[in-house]
Order: sequence, then structure tokens, then C-alpha cells
Amino acid sequence: MSNATLVTPPPSEVVAAPVSLNGRQEPTALISMRDLWKTYEMGSEKVHALHGVSFDVKKGEYIAITGPSGSGKSTLMNLIGCLDTPSQGEYWLNGKNVSEMDDDELARIRNQEVGFVFQTFNLLARATALHNVELPLIYGGVSSTKRHEMAKEALAAVDLADRMTHRPNELSGGQRQRVAIARALVNHPSILLADEPTGALDTHTSMEIMDLFERLHEEGNTVVLVTHEPDIAARAHRVISIRDGQIEKDHQLR
Amino acid sequence: MNRRVYEETQPTLVVGLRTTASGGNRSRSRVRVSAIWEALLVAIGSLRSNKLRTSLTLIGIVVGVAAVIAVVTIIQGLDNKVATTFSSQGSTVFTVSKRPQIIRSREEFIKFNKRKDVTHEDAEAITRLCTSCWRVGVAANVLQTVKHGDQKFENVRVRGVTPQTMFDIDGVSVAQGRIWTDAEGTSGRQICVVGPDVLTNVFGGASADRVLGEEISVGGRPFVILGVLEPLGSIFGNSRDNVVYIPYSTYQKSYGARESIVVFIQVPTAAQLETAEDQVRTIMSNRRGKIFSADDDPGFSVETQDVFLELYGKATSNIYLVTIGVAAISLIVGGIVVMNIMLVSVTERTKEIGIRKALGARRNDILTQFLIEAVAVTMIGGAIGVGTGFGLAYIISALIGFPLLINVLSAVLGVGVSSVVGIISGLWPAWRAAKLDPIEALRSE
Repeated sequence: MSNATLVTPPPSEVVAAPVSLNGRQEPTALISMRDLWKTYEMGSEKVHALHGVSFDVKKGEYIAITGPSGSGKSTLMNLIGCLDTPSQGEYWLNGKNVSEMDDDELARIRNQEVGFVFQTFNLLARATALHNVELPLIYGGVSSTKRHEMAKEALAAVDLADRMTHRPNELSGGQRQRVAIARALVNHPSILLADEPTGALDTHTSMEIMDLFERLHEEGNTVVLVTHEPDIAARAHRVISIRDGQIEKDHQLR
Repeated sequence: MNRRVYEETQPTLVVGLRTTASGGNRSRSRVRVSAIWEALLVAIGSLRSNKLRTSLTLIGIVVGVAAVIAVVTIIQGLDNKVATTFSSQGSTVFTVSKRPQIIRSREEFIKFNKRKDVTHEDAEAITRLCTSCWRVGVAANVLQTVKHGDQKFENVRVRGVTPQTMFDIDGVSVAQGRIWTDAEGTSGRQICVVGPDVLTNVFGGASADRVLGEEISVGGRPFVILGVLEPLGSIFGNSRDNVVYIPYSTYQKSYGARESIVVFIQVPTAAQLETAEDQVRTIMSNRRGKIFSADDDPGFSVETQDVFLELYGKATSNIYLVTIGVAAISLIVGGIVVMNIMLVSVTERTKEIGIRKALGARRNDILTQFLIEAVAVTMIGGAIGVGTGFGLAYIISALIGFPLLINVLSAVLGVGVSSVVGIISGLWPAWRAAKLDPIEALRSE
């Protein structure tokens, strides 16, 4: 991809518009979920973790998905993050039909389109902050010099330029989560998907991390937060509440 | 400051979104290289952080490979020793004799004994008529007791030879002193060239130059030492240097002319061997033809030293296979150890596998990572095993007195086979890791 053809649209502008999605999907959506079902078989019994979930996310949105435990929000998050495929329904992410992909294609989508931030950070204990951030690039096939450069940039973006050679156990909880956020950002994914990102942090650090998410959103990133804490959800611009595997409320705050 | 830096990266993001579909394939080949490199680093890191476990695994492989390498090396040394011993004359020498070197039954013995003796005249006819023959010599052996002063040694091989080229055909050379001249050889004088063992056994290990011109008693007759031979070494505890060479005319005079002789014929290169053998057969058939026309038996035996090697090979090949097989079992045990350790490693790192999968590692990436780890252990183990095996072989060879043959092929094979063991034993654990569900894996602690 040469820089000569590079045109920078404003964050709101549509970038990848699917040509035809059975005529149902709005062309502006980054995420488009259509009547998603997820069914688990527990012995002879069928458990519907999700039944008939449909919603769209536009590029540049800041969304919180909330709900009590057992509501299906974790299942939904796994689907959004392409860790899992729906039993039924369609999921389009950035113009690609994820619902029909096999394991390797899903891995590729996770690598290119999704930036994960986990509650427990999920950093590799033996690797330095820099190496942790490089990990998605390694699986994306980026050359090592480019990788270093991109990882350093991402760490600088979360104010950790001076902690690059530290291992996770040499960092505070807030710093670890920022490393994780840098890792999520380094591949320039379509969505930043955070699962209870402040769940393991104290209030003060939580606020710092939330400030960081806010900043990343302002910079044009699409952020999807999964949380059960109302005050965390309240900082998003749109809140989707899940209960019993269905959308209970889809609420635009700002 | 940081904000500005990040904003600069934004255009790339947008382009990335646009062209992911087409850009995806382009980077595929690079994916493999960087992921394999990562796998290698992870493997090394994992092996280093579990030192005790790694060394126990290594021992399993080292023992197996070392056993195989040591056994193979010792066998090769033994084979080589046997081959050089039986054919110190090389593959360019063949013999004409009354009886073949190997007699399989009493009937055969009786049949061969009825043959006419091979005589000096036969040898002269071959020398005269065989155009493909390079060197022709005759030799006869007898065991005698050698004495010097009050020291004596029994069962010394006394070899009567003529002409002097028989030394070349035998593949022996003089270290000190000289061989007899033509005149001395036909004069019937009591002169000899001795093997180095004679010095050890009846001269108390005196140096070669000090025994020249000394007189020894061979079978009760006095002989003057003209020269001392270079050592040839021993086989199966039997020294090949325990020998006294004397002129054939003297041999006939001293130990009897009635024995059948053996004619030794050497050709310049192995390629001429068959032609020369055919010529000699024709010459000998003509000389025997009248007497043995009714019989299938030609009345003489034309042989190379290979008959011994063939017999030896037949007798030992199965023993070797079994020995190597037994040693290989320990390698299989080593493979099971590796598999066990890899299964533990996979279980221990389930969470890590989950993280890697969430970040975009595909099944193959995870499979490769664990396979590389298994192969790394077994390759290192294999390399150490090859070294240890050669070390063992060196010690054992030195103790028994075999030559040590360091075979590059068996070293490569040792590392190669252990790597294959690594792949086989790593495959199942790696496959289990690769097919882990990322959600389950992330949830594990």
C-alpha cells in the first residue's frame, strides 16, 4: 500500500462499505449483527445464550454492553471478538461475513480487525512490554524492524515509552492494562474490544484507564466496552443492555 | 506529545481497513517466518525457564542416541578391523590353492585333500603365462617356537615366501633393516625378517635397530635377523605381528618341501581382477586337465580374501541388527519422555495459548510452536547424545583395541532420528494445544 494513494477521511466517513448484504445491512455499519443466536447443548438440553440479537455499530462509536452475569454479554463479546461463531444469524465485521468463517479465518480477523483488552490483562509473563505489544504483529507477519517501530509507537501512545523493557511483574496494574491497550491498538484494528477493562483495578487507576479509552475514541477508534459497572458504562456514548440473551435496551447517551 | 504520535498513525489505520482483504495474502509468507521465529524464541525461553525439566528430558534422549551411536560406531570399528585384517592384501589379490579357505564339511575336506598339490612349478607357469597378473608370489606357513638366549615364544607363524614382492602382496613393509636379496633368497641361507612381536617376546622389547644381525632360533634352527616389519596390530586378540618371514627355499629345506603351497597373485587395480582370475583358471586347468577331466572339480581353488568377509558378514549382520534394535528402544523411551513433558507444557501454558489465539495465532502457529519446542529438545539431546556416543565408543574401542571410526553420516543420522522422534512425540501434544478453544483457554488459570 503506497502512501501516494493515501486519503484520510474524517472518522465519521464510511470506509469499507459492503456491496450487498442481502439488502438488509445499512452500508454505514462497521459491525452488523442480524438475528444472532448462540445455543449450547448441555447434555440433552439446549441452552440459548443469545436469542435473536441484532444491532449495528458505526465506525467511531463508543459503546458499552452491560448486563448482569449470565445475561449472555460474555457470549456476545466472544462473538464480536470473533473468538466464537454464532449458531444462527449473520455477523458482518468491516464488510466481512464472520459468521461463516473457519478457525484460521477467524484468527486472521482477530489479528487484523479486533483489539482485545481483558480484565486480567492477559500479558505474557515472560515477555517484555515491547514484546507483548509486538505479538499481534508477529502473527500478522510484520517484519521485525517495522514491528519494533509500531510497538514503540503504540507504547508511547499509552505513555509507556519508558517501560518498554519491563516485564509485566515489574509494572503496576494500571501500567499492565496500558500495555494491553497498546497491544490491542498496535495492529490498527477496526474495533477496540474491552472486557471489564477496569475490573482488576482500583478506582483511581480505573478512571485513568477510562480516560485513556475516551482519548482513543476521540482519536477515531471504535470502542466496545463490556462491563457490569453502571458508572463505567455511563462514560460510553451508547449503552446496550443485555438480559436473558436478548437486547433489553439500546440507549444513545450522547 | 504522545497524542500527536498516535494521530500520525491514524492514516495507516484507515488504509489498513480499506485494503485488508487484498493485503492479507501478500503478508502470508512473511507470517510463517515471523511466527516460526517467535516459536523458536518461545521454545528456547520455555526450555531455559524449566531447567530441571529440560535436563531430565534431555537425558532421556541423550541416553537413547548415545546408545545407538556407540553401538553403531563400535560395530563399524569391528567391521573395519575385520575387513582390513582379512584383506590387508586388498581387493587386488587372489590366491590359487589346493584347498579353499573355508571348508564346510568332512566330505568336502576329503574331496579337496584328493587334489594334487599346488607346486612351485604351477606358480612359475602362472608367472610366465598370465599377462594380466602383476605380482605373483608363493607362500607357505608353519607354526614354530622362536628362541633367543633363554627367552622363547611358541606358536610363531613362520612364513616362507618368494620372491620378495610377496612382502608387497602381503601388505607388509620393513621398518628397520632390509629384505634379503635375490641371491640370498635362493641360496638357502638361514636369514629372516621378523614381525615386531618377536622383539617384544624374545628380545624383551629391544629396539629394532639393536636386533639386526642377531641370531634367533626358529624351530631349532638358527636364523639371522635382516629386518624388522612395521606393526599391523591385532584382531580378536590375535596379533598379526607375531610372524617370521623367511625365504621360500630355506623354508623348503628347513620345514619340508611336501606341503602344498599357496600362490598369491596381485593385479594393478581391482578392475583387472576378474580377467586375471580367468587367465589363471585357464592356465591351471590346462595343467590339471589331463588328470581331472572326468570330474566336475577343477582340482584347485581360486579365491579372494572376500570369502572371509562374506562369511563374517552373514554371521554377524543379524546380531548387529538386534543390538541396534535394542539400543533404539531406549530412544523410543526417550520419545515417550518428551511426549509426556510436552503434554505437561501444553497444560501449563493453556492460558498463554488462549492469549496467542486471541491475538491472531492460527492453529498452525500454535502447532509449530510446540513442535519446535519438542524438536529443539530432541535435537539438542541428539547432538549431546552423538557426542556422548562417540565418547563411549572411543573408550570402548580403546579398551578392546578397535579403530575408532567417527562416521559423519551416523552423527547426522543421530541428530536427524532424534529430531524425528521429537516431531512424532511432539505432534500429539502440539495438536492438542492447537485445537484448544480460545475461549476455554483464556478462561483457564
